[in-house]
Parts: sequence; C-alpha cells; structure tokens
Amino acid sequence: MKFNRTSREPVSKPNSQMLRRTLFLMAVCGIFAFSLLLARLYKIQIIDHKFYEERAMSQQLRENKSSAARGSIYDRKMNPLALSAPVDNLYLSPGEISSHHEDRELIARGLADILNLDYNEVLKKTSEQGSYYVTVQRKLSREQSDKVREFKTDNKLKGIRLEPDSKRYYPNSSLACHVLGFVGMDNQGLEGIEARYENVLGGTEGRTLRLTNAYGTDLLFKQFEEHCPGEEGLSLVLSLDSGIQYFVEKHLKQAVEDYDIQNGAGAIAMDVNTGGILAMASIGGFDPNNFLAVSDKAQTVISQSADPEAELRAQQLKQWRNKALSDSYEPGSTFKIITLSMALEEGAADLDSTYYCGGSVNVRGRTSPIRCWKHGGHGSQNLTQAVQHSCNAAFVNIGLQVGAERFYDYLEAFGFLEKTGDKDENLSAKSGIDLSGETGSIFWSENVFCSPKNLSQLAAASFGQTFTISPLQLITAVSACVNGGKLMQPYVVEKMLNPDGTTAYEREPEVLRQVISAETSAKVRQILEAVVGDPKDGTGRNAAVKGYRIGGKTGTSEKVNLEATTGKKEYIVSFIGFAPADDPKIALLVFLDTPSDKSGVYVSGGQMAAPTVGKMFADILPYMGFVPQFEDEEISEAVVPELAEMSISDAENALYGAELRYRVIGEGDTINAQLPRAGSKIAKNSEVIIYAGTEPSDDTVTLPELSGMGYFDARDSLAECGIYVRSLSPLSEDGAQKVVSQSLPAGTEIPRGSVIELMLRDSAEEQLGKY
Amino acid sequence: MRYESVRLAGFPSAPVKKSRGEMDLSFCVLVLLLLSMGLLMILSSSFARAYYDPGDVTGGKAGYFFIRQLIFAVAGTFLMFFASKIPMKLYRKYAFHFLLFAVVLLLLVPFVGTKVNGSRRWLSLPGIRIQPSELAKLAVILSFSRLIAAKAGKMRSFKEGILPFAGILALIVGLLMLEPHFSASIIIIAIGGVMLFLGGVSLGWFIGAILVLGGALAVLLIFFPYASERITTWLDPFKSSSDEGYQIVQSLYSIGSGGLSGLGFGKSVQKYMYLPEEHNDFIFSVYCEEMGFIGAALLLCLFALLILRGYYIALKCPDRFSFLVCAGLTSLLFIQVFLNVGVVTNLLPCTGISLPFFSYGGTALMTELIEMGIILSASRDAVY
Repeated sequence: MKFNRTSREPVSKPNSQMLRRTLFLMAVCGIFAFSLLLARLYKIQIIDHKFYEERAMSQQLRENKSSAARGSIYDRKMNPLALSAPVDNLYLSPGEISSHHEDRELIARGLADILNLDYNEVLKKTSEQGSYYVTVQRKLSREQSDKVREFKTDNKLKGIRLEPDSKRYYPNSSLACHVLGFVGMDNQGLEGIEARYENVLGGTEGRTLRLTNAYGTDLLFKQFEEHCPGEEGLSLVLSLDSGIQYFVEKHLKQAVEDYDIQNGAGAIAMDVNTGGILAMASIGGFDPNNFLAVSDKAQTVISQSADPEAELRAQQLKQWRNKALSDSYEPGSTFKIITLSMALEEGAADLDSTYYCGGSVNVRGRTSPIRCWKHGGHGSQNLTQAVQHSCNAAFVNIGLQVGAERFYDYLEAFGFLEKTGDKDENLSAKSGIDLSGETGSIFWSENVFCSPKNLSQLAAASFGQTFTISPLQLITAVSACVNGGKLMQPYVVEKMLNPDGTTAYEREPEVLRQVISAETSAKVRQILEAVVGDPKDGTGRNAAVKGYRIGGKTGTSEKVNLEATTGKKEYIVSFIGFAPADDPKIALLVFLDTPSDKSGVYVSGGQMAAPTVGKMFADILPYMGFVPQFEDEEISEAVVPELAEMSISDAENALYGAELRYRVIGEGDTINAQLPRAGSKIAKNSEVIIYAGTEPSDDTVTLPELSGMGYFDARDSLAECGIYVRSLSPLSEDGAQKVVSQSLPAGTEIPRGSVIELMLRDSAEEQLGKY
Repeated sequence: MRYESVRLAGFPSAPVKKSRGEMDLSFCVLVLLLLSMGLLMILSSSFARAYYDPGDVTGGKAGYFFIRQLIFAVAGTFLMFFASKIPMKLYRKYAFHFLLFAVVLLLLVPFVGTKVNGSRRWLSLPGIRIQPSELAKLAVILSFSRLIAAKAGKMRSFKEGILPFAGILALIVGLLMLEPHFSASIIIIAIGGVMLFLGGVSLGWFIGAILVLGGALAVLLIFFPYASERITTWLDPFKSSSDEGYQIVQSLYSIGSGGLSGLGFGKSVQKYMYLPEEHNDFIFSVYCEEMGFIGAALLLCLFALLILRGYYIALKCPDRFSFLVCAGLTSLLFIQVFLNVGVVTNLLPCTGISLPFFSYGGTALMTELIEMGIILSASRDAVY
C-alpha cells in the first residue's frame, strides 16, 4: 500500500453501525463515566469530607507552644528563693540552610567557636536531611546569645534560629534546696515545692495553631491562625524564713562535722502557733542551680566504685533526699513530751506526783525488766525531775497509769495514726504537709497495743520506742503540747501571688483539733523549761541560751531493727526545743543520724543535738527580734557612780572601782557635772566625761549608724561626743563582737549623755547582712 | 463568514481552493475555556513549590511554571487554529508518514532519550523536550482511521479487520514497554480498541481481547510484585500512607478537605509540598480542594460537554476518515480525563496520567491543542 495514494481509497459516509456505536460511546463516555466520577467525588468531598479534612488538618496544623513565665518563690519576707530569667535556645534549620545555599562550614565553625562545641558535631547537624529543627544548644548565656545574633546578622544566615526559653535561678544556691527542689530542662518541677506546686508555678503555656507547609514553616499567605494565650504561673510565698533557714543549715552542717555524723541529719523549725514551717534542712544538700553535681566527697566514692554510673545516680538520689521529711525514726525520749502531756491532761500524773526509779521496771508481758538508761537508778523523783532526768522507769509508770486505750486515743489525737476500720493493720499516718515525699508513721495495731495481757508495747511506747514516726509529725505534736494544746496543720506555702503581685490565695492557719487544754500545756512548758534551764539536773541544759527562756527535750534512740538484723549498734540523737518558754513562737527539732563514737563526744541527744539547737536559738531568737533578758551579773557593764562635788582624785578612785575610764574637761578642782548621769548602766571601760569648772554644752548629737561596728569601737567613738552604749547581749571573752542593732535608729538627735542599747553578734557572722 | 483562499506556509503546492465552512464555535469555546481554567490552576497549584523550589529547578520564582505553561498555551492555541485550517484530506494523506515518524522517534527513545524518574520517555532537542508517546497516540488515531476508512466493509474479517491493527499496536506498545511507559501503553491499547470498535469489528473480538488482557493482567500481578503492590495500595492506600500510598492518600486529603465549596481559589494547603506532582498529575486534586464539589462538578460537566460535542461533530462528518478521527480524538480525550480523575480519586489504581489542558507539560498541551484543532478542522466540513 502506498502511503499517499489516497485517491484510490473509497470515500464513503459512516454507516449506521458506526453511528450506533458512536451513540453508545456518547452514552458511556459522555454521561455514564462522568456520573461515576461525580459519584466518587460526592463520596469523598461530601460524605467523607470530615474524615479527610481532619486528617489533612492534623498534618497541616502546627501547634507552637510558648512556655508561660514560671512563678517565683519567695520566703515570708519576700526574699527571692527561686526566679526565672529569659534565655535563648539555639537551633538550626538544615532545610533552609540548603535551600538558601548557606555555607555549612562557616556556620559550624562560627557556632563551635562561640559555644565551645565540637566543629564536626555542629557540621553534622547543619546537614541533617529534610529537617527544619535541630537543637544545637539550649539555654545559652546572654553573652552567647548576643554573639550568635551578631554572627547571624553579620553573615546574613537564615538557617540559624534562636527561640526564647527561660532558665530557673536559685539566688541563694543551696539554701533550702530540699524544700525548693529543682526543675528539669523544660522548666518542669522535678522535686520539692517546684514539683508539688508545678500546676501553680508552671502556669499554662500559650499555644498558636496555624497552617503550615510540609516543612513546618508558614504558608506564603497567612490563611489560618488561632492564638490561645498562655497564663503566667503564680508566685509562691513560703512560710520559710531565709534567715532562720540559714542559721539552721549552718549549725546543722557544723554538727555533722563536729560529731562526725555518718548518715546525714535533719532539722525543722516550726511556727508553733500556725504550723508554718520556718526552716527545713537536710544534710547533705546540693545546689539546685546544678542539681546533678555531687559533692567532692561523693565524687571520691563514685570514682572508687565498681559501677560509677550507678553510684553517681545513688549519690544524686541521696543528696536530693529530704531527710527531715522522708525519714521516719524512733523518736526515743523526745516522745516523752507526748506521754507527759496526755498524763497531765488525763490526771494520770501531776506536778507533785512522785516516781521511784531503781534502774529497771517490770512490765506484764515482758520476760526481762525494762532498764532505765541510768542503770543505778534515779531514786525518788517528782514529775519535773523525772522529765529532767529523762527517766524511762518513771515514764513506764506514767504510761501504765494513762492506760493503753487512752494512750492509743491520744496517739490518734496527736496525728500519729489514722484509725481505719481494720484493727489488725499496722497503722500509719502523715501530717499532710504540702510537700512531696513525706513518710508516714508505723504503729502497733490497736488490738496488739491494747492487749491487757501484754503491756510491753505500751511501756516501750511511753518512752518513744518500738514505733516510728516522721520528724515532722513529732514537731507538729510537740508544738501542740506547748502552744496551748492546738494541733496545727503544718504547711510551707503561705500565699500565692498573681503575676501583678496581688494575692491570689492566702492560707489561714488551720487548727486540726484541741488535743490538750491550755492549762495542761502551760504545765508542760514549765516542766520542759526545767529540762533546759536547770544547769545541774536538766538533760537538755546544753540547749540553754543566756538571756532566753527555752524549753525542750533530748532523745537518743537506738535503731532497734538494725541491731536485730545486722547486729550493728547505731543511734539517732535528737533534740526538740521551743522558745520563748513562757509564750512559744518557734519549735526546733534537730536529729543527727548515726554519730560516730570516735568524735570524742558522748553519743546522746543531750551532748550532741541539744548544743546544736542551743546554737541555732542563740542566732535565731535575736534575729526574730526577741530581746534577751539578762540577770545583771551576766552582762559586763558598769554603773556610773555619783561624782558631783567630789575632788578629781576621789572621782578617779570611784571610777576605777566601777571599771570606767574618764576624761576631765575644765581646770577646776571639784566636779560640777558628769556625763552620763549617775546610775546609768554603760559598758565597762567607757570613758566618762567629768566637768571641773565648766558646764557641759546643751546641744544634741546625731546618732550614727552603728551596725557592723566593733563593740569597743562603737563604745569609744561614741564616748568622744558624750554618748554611751550598753550591750543587751552577753559579751564574749575576746569582745570581738559586732553591733547588729541599736535601740535608736541612726540619724536620731539625742542629748549628750544618752545611753544607747546595742545587740551584738560574733563577728564571724558576716553572712547575716544577707538576710 | 467566508474565508478567502488561504495559503499554508508548509504546503505551497496545495492551496485550499474552495473556501471551507466555519469551525464548530461551541467546541472551540469549550476548549479555550478549559485551557484558561487549566492555566489558572497551574498558577495556583505550582507557585508554592516554585517558590520553595525543593527540586532546585525554578530558582525560587513563584511564576516559573505558570509562565512556561502560558507560553506553550499561546503557541498551542495558534497551532490549534492552524491545524483547524488544514483540510482533512491532508491528514488522511500523511497519516502513515506520521505513523512512521512517530515509530522512528519511539525507536530513538531507548537509545538517546532523557531519563526522568527511572524511565526514558523524553527526547531532548535544544530548547524543547518532546514525548514521542504523545505523538504515537495521534499517529494511531490517524493511521487507524485511514486504514478503517480504506477497508470499508472488510472490517469483519480477521486478516483485514484485526491483524494489521494488532500489528501496529503491538509494535508501538512493544516500543513503549522498552521505556517503560505503562500508562501510555494502556491509553494506546484503549484508543486502538475504540477505533476498531467504531470501525465495525465484531463484538466477539472485544470479548476475546478483554479475556486475553485480563489473563495478561493476572500473569502480571502474579509474577511482578511491583504490579500487585499497586493493587494492594489501591485497595487500602492508608495502610501504606507514608510510602506507596503516600501520593494517593495526600490526593484524597486534598479532594476531601475541599468539601462542598472548597477553600477558595489559591488557598489549597496540600499544594505546599504535602501533595506530590500537585501541578502535574494531581492538579485535579488541588482544583477540588480549592473549588470544592461544586467546582469539580462544573469542571467535569465542561469536560463531558466537550466530549459529547466532539462525538456530535464526528456524527456530522461527511466521510468515514473524518468521522473516525473526530470520534477517536474525542475518545482519547475522554480516556485521559477519565483515567486521571479516576486515579486521583482512587477509583482506579495509581498510574501517571496527566489531565488534558490542566497538567503541566508543554508538548502534551500543544499536542492536545493540535488534536482539538484537527477536530475543529473536521467540524468545518460537518454537515448539520
């Protein structure tokens, strides 16, 4: 067939079959097929619309979260304990680096230099395929952020991005670390208040929902954006007082060192009238700014360990542990306060009751007698003496007189156990403080405890053995014993503040119940003051602070379970004190876990814990503004004698006898005036001015600021202009004390011859200025 | 209006002496309407990818694809009118030459073709790339039409009615399989079948052919895991929505999220690199997302009208060749539209077929417009 010879081919009209078949095609292709497609589209676009839209949206919508500002934490005097500051996170967008043909090596070198990172690591991150978010470093310092910004602008780089974040700062580093806790990389609270109040502090993060392209960045034209603003977290005001916390931590650390404490220590200070925690400390601590770092001592242990990683983890957990909250222990003799209180309340004992201690006492249900710690016995003693001596035998008798049923009821009333329906369970209770990680008590079940055939549980419980409670439970119960009988709900968070500073929530101190009467409480205070105040008989005499009335009780408890299982003898020594004894404001509990017997100090609460509490009180009570009341002989001061009409030589003798120096103004022979006036009590060796033939001027003197000055310096410089000082604090032997407060503020105009009262502190207390 | 004698540049010896009738205006308007809509959709669907330029092609110019398509569309429109001026007998005269030309180009492809995505389908000339398979489709229609017209009345015999056609088809499909180009093969076979159907081959052969093709398909599915994978993906694309099923799932998201009235012109989100080939094979998905079911129904109606009008012109053709060419080209248009929409809506298993007048691609668009021009040329001779 020739291709182009069309002339021979027939030219005919389409036949009818062709027309029929075309009509068929019209029906099929023109109508039926399109109906099919339309039906299919109807199914997808109308019937299944929601299904596909949701799925499409879920891949197209990106949620950008902007973290809410975290609330701060303050102490009761609004000193900041935890703050958040804005920082930047640095990330790369390798997708944009590649689409803008940016120099990877330049970026890697620049960032590695600024942030001190490995060049190759950064280079690897710049080339991650298909990614638009690769974190390089989080929480850059301000200096680093500035440098990165500069680098980015200088080189016009789009693939380097900074995003805002915030970092938590603890300005006092380790102070109150266990109470505060710490936050993780995403500012989420991990421990302590930070964890417990995460919902309050953390606020709600802001969210922006918007449509994005497949790379996760904005569309070319904004089509949809929904912004849901975040809410800043609330700030917390704690019942904690930084000053008290500081003193407690300082002396607790010192005690751990002095007495070679093996297993840490804890201390709690509580406002006895509100239940607010004033201080809570545990040894060892950590710096919440860098909570993963361990102490040098722990580092040594880790490096010697077979499995350093596991050991590191163990050491970290150990340093984070809030012993004061999480360790339960046998309270020992400190518990006698509770026994004493219930006995007085129930009339089972009174101030004039007498007890005889022969060194041991027989109890029904026990094969061997219970021995008093003084094997020779305390002999005959009244109730106060029994407490002063911490006599176990006497307390067994007191407990037996209260009786198991009533004793058990008081345990419940003091918050040591929660009764459940099941009487055979070991019963436990917690104080319910607003901190995480509180341990509970472990007690005999009521059936066992109240068994009339066996009184040994009751007898041992009377002096604080055979059960465990938490230190917090003990201090809460003892606070009730001395505050007039009210059991308070302990707490740490006093107030929540809105971001604008207004109060969002304020806690009212909550009285759980009246456990004993106010009269009984007064008797308990009186007896416990005698434990500390009696320098001869009081087992707690080492806690005494001159000028203050302090009450308290010692405790030395053996870890009975440990001895039963391992044969090791270990002790927890403790002291619980309160002050002022006549109107208590603060209770203070210190417990030292496992003192070494090689420290040279006799292992007991009276020898170790009591002096520690005493030192704490010596700092805390003046800090709280309690003015010490001294007997005259306690203070080193002189009384200015009457010198008028005397001859100079007579006056010299009189002043010498009064331990005062003098300076003469005028040329006369007899004295016509003196500064200060006769009878004034002033510091010894002050320079008295005597006027012979002249009159003192009538003008006034402006009082200078004295705090921080040495005591003698203050005395002498003031005497220059005729002002005298007397100290309200006892003088140390070396006299190297500094002024902390003065009875009249600086700037006051006072007449010459006035006497200013000063409070002093050991000059080593430089830290005090911080609070 | 009557035209004066027109001299055609390429055919100086064949002046059109007798002035011809007017072309079919409604068909022409439909084509231009669809072409305009297609251009707008190219602009809308492609600017995001052109701007982000993940393939490093456009240099970040958002209008890159649109401008190129616009140039081809303008050129194609001129070619369409030019083709409509060429008398049908010239198409008939050079039908076999054209077939030979297409076969030669197809033969060249496996040796000198440009490889794109693992297949060699393109011939690159300076400044332009052409797909010989596009020409082959036109060549099959023209040559089959001439053959059938010439064999008037003998189409019922195997030797005359089946064998030569089957030979041509086998040759072309064989060459396409070398590339390989599966979707073009299907279209060529389908259009060949339609031509024979119109030419009067008895229906029994079609039943036979369907059985044979079905058997071949079964063999394909059993022995080529690649093919059976496609079927699995087709039946449940969400099972493999991150790999094999990704394209079709994204397409369904596009279409489905359009709903009744769509997101509005230019407002597709899926085109922002979620949906692959969004200005190409899946441009209809973007259209559905932006214009909704209402817009989609309107577009399908326009296509249906164009196709019905094409068959109508065929029916009015005075001779068999013109009739067959018109009906064949109309059927080709239908097959492409149906397969494309069928695939993107997951009515049919996934394969790459472009949507006439919409999908990006210069030679394909120009070829389509020339084909429309040929129908318009036939319409000038139509007797109403």
